[in-house]
Amino acid sequence: MTTTHPSLSRPTATHPVISARALTKTFGTVRALDGLDLTIGHGEVHGFLGPNGAGKSTTIRVLLGLLRPDSGTVQMFRRDPWKDAVELHRRLAYVPGDVEIWPHLTGGEVIDMFLRLRGNYSARRRNALIDRFELDPRKKARTYSKGNRQKVALIAALAADVDLLLLDEPTAGLDPLMEAVFQEVIREKKEDGTSVLLSSHILSQVEALSDRVSIIRAGRIVESGSLTDLRHMTRTTVEVETAQPADAIAQLDGVHSFRTEAGRTVFDVDGDRVSQVMSALAPLGVRSLIAHPPTLEQLLMRHYGDAPAARH
Amino acid sequence: MSLTTHPPRRGSPLTAAGTLVRFLLRVDRIRALVWVLGIGAMGFYFAHAVQVVASDDAALAELAGLYADPVGRMMVGPGFGMDDPTYERFYAAGYAFVLYIFLALMSVFTMIRHTRADEQAGRAELMRANVVGRHATLTSAFVVTMLMVLAASVLIAGGALSAGFAWEGSLLIAVTGTAVGFFFAGAAAVSAQLSESARGASAMAGGLIGLAYLVRMAGDAPEVGGTALSWASPLGWAQQTAPYVDDLWWPVLLLAGGGLVLSALGFWLSTRRDVGAGILPARLGRAEARPALGTPLGLAARSLWGTLRGWGIALVLAALMFGAYAQTMMDAADSLPAEIADVFAGEDIMLGYLAYIALFMGVFALAAGVSSIQQIRGEEAHHRAEYGLSAPMSRTTWLGAHLTVVVVGVLVILAGVGAAMGLGAAMVLENDGGAYVGDLFLAAFLQAPAVLCVVGVVTALFGWLPRAAAPVGWVIVGFTGLMSTFGGLLDPPEFVLDLDPFHHLADFPVEPIAWEPIAWLTAIGAAGIVVGLLGWQRREIGRI
Repeated sequence: MTTTHPSLSRPTATHPVISARALTKTFGTVRALDGLDLTIGHGEVHGFLGPNGAGKSTTIRVLLGLLRPDSGTVQMFRRDPWKDAVELHRRLAYVPGDVEIWPHLTGGEVIDMFLRLRGNYSARRRNALIDRFELDPRKKARTYSKGNRQKVALIAALAADVDLLLLDEPTAGLDPLMEAVFQEVIREKKEDGTSVLLSSHILSQVEALSDRVSIIRAGRIVESGSLTDLRHMTRTTVEVETAQPADAIAQLDGVHSFRTEAGRTVFDVDGDRVSQVMSALAPLGVRSLIAHPPTLEQLLMRHYGDAPAARH
Repeated sequence: MSLTTHPPRRGSPLTAAGTLVRFLLRVDRIRALVWVLGIGAMGFYFAHAVQVVASDDAALAELAGLYADPVGRMMVGPGFGMDDPTYERFYAAGYAFVLYIFLALMSVFTMIRHTRADEQAGRAELMRANVVGRHATLTSAFVVTMLMVLAASVLIAGGALSAGFAWEGSLLIAVTGTAVGFFFAGAAAVSAQLSESARGASAMAGGLIGLAYLVRMAGDAPEVGGTALSWASPLGWAQQTAPYVDDLWWPVLLLAGGGLVLSALGFWLSTRRDVGAGILPARLGRAEARPALGTPLGLAARSLWGTLRGWGIALVLAALMFGAYAQTMMDAADSLPAEIADVFAGEDIMLGYLAYIALFMGVFALAAGVSSIQQIRGEEAHHRAEYGLSAPMSRTTWLGAHLTVVVVGVLVILAGVGAAMGLGAAMVLENDGGAYVGDLFLAAFLQAPAVLCVVGVVTALFGWLPRAAAPVGWVIVGFTGLMSTFGGLLDPPEFVLDLDPFHHLADFPVEPIAWEPIAWLTAIGAAGIVVGLLGWQRREIGRI
């Protein structure tokens, strides 16, 4: 790519692929983006988590140069997505959240059209992906189910030789087997150094793929960092069986919800207190110990309140 | 559920059909009303317009000649009673078939909408998951369709009776109309089982209407009253009832019987397949795109091709038929009194008529252009523009490619219309028919500047006020249509006439070509396109 577009600098570790600062965007009375910051480094798979209506798609449309933010700055590969859309789009591929494709074209035709428009057509990559996603490329798009339309858009994006993938809930209509194929392909892309913005509300997917995660709520990033960072800020659940009574643990800093269940002691501990608590446990004679790291679900619950409401 | 207090009832195949009928009527209340009132109003208009168009017997006899000659019979039907025309006979011979065709179309669209279209959208699955009998959906679609057909037929009878036509013939037309509706509802019940897509199912049943019309055309053209071939078409059966002439009732039984057989077949086929599946396998397309599709122009052409092709075929066929009237117009001139014939030679009347047809076709070509731009807007509204623009293709390229297809498409349609009109005239004219081909081609093609002018205006709106583009476009189409047809009759103030871009063009070949309006109309069109592209470049995409 560098040879064909010398004007575009190759992303380096020092220049983020995407950098958005204080973006706002209002539709009528609805504030879709409310001071959003987002940074994605080179070669990073970035999970973009949030419920429907939080502003994920609006952010991606701004990144594509389809919408203009009311205020704030946004750069991709150090360029303005609104002004330099064509040059930028040579380096990225997009999978829309609600895939609408031309009803009278076949899946194969849509895939080829996008690959040829990008100008780096590889029949080998294309056919391999069609096989892996088990798509019948001869069917007219109007007869495809939502899942199959999504496969078409995914193959068109993943078969392209690009530096950045913008994926807006890319697997919402796929079955678990295809979800596994998707994760496999994304891992391969990551090894090739492709950056990925993966918007999703499927926690396991983000957990399995992302280096870093940003949680968006009401147009604002409420939490951002590596999974390790985020876990650090939350609590680990510990179930322990000890030779001597463990009641003293309840008095330690950072220990919550201390209780005894069927002869076992169960409590939650703050991420930054784990080592102190472990030191205190050791002298009590630990017979068995299970520790659950916090799941993303718990992370989300912290920001969205009750669990079911967060899972749209 | 009350399973504990009542033993579960054994469901019949029609369980919940009544509820579904009420539901469909509610869902469709506006659409059904528009269809029924539209057809009713059309019937009323036809019945009364006849008496306005031909104010005395001499005029009527002359008009009846149109439907008695082979080309006329080909277009409208067997022409019963045109040797001794009355208003009611003229209405039955010339217009009843239009009502039949609209009833058939209403039947097909309503049936498919409530059967295959619901299935394709997944709504049928939702329904069938409830306590709904196996035949309930198809039955309720039938009931709703037939209620609409009956209501429209009652209005048709009312329209004919209000014009003072004989009651038996009027009733016969209404009953025949109901039977036609029933026949094609049955055809749609079958096609809905065969095809997996609603479009395919509509095309199949609609194609049967077209085929019935073509067979009838070939059957009716050779002889007054039709030939054996006329009896091979369901529309032929409808017309062989000869209302107000012979008042034959028994051909209606053919339609009703055919409808019964088809609906029974539909119900039977529906038990032979799964919900969502079709009896016929879905047709597969190309696994790989042709290279041309990978260009902005290729994408635009594939997106708009269907719309433009549909308009193109319809208009070219219409132009061929109108052209084929040339000799009839020539002959009509011969019957004019000598002093008028001195002023208007037969040739002038014929060319005047064809110049008017060219104008009329120009308005329809404009409609094709507006509906294409509406489709470009649809590409945006359905997020396909957004998806397409995620490829390295600028907005200007995207819209420019689509507009190129629209403009070229409209020009090709006009050229095709001109060629077809010339060909039609050349086929029928006894003396030197070929001499007019070039002039008639130009007559149609020279409507292009007016079409381009409006396309430019609508494009400018698309760039800056996208929501207004299609509505304003259709208002302009309606206005130019009204001015072209009734402009002379209504006698509006000059400035109103001036608003009609077609009004500024010369009536070639009756008048010589006027280049000045051609130049400035084209300039307005080009300016509008540039303004539209500028707006599109700076506005946000997908803001509906």
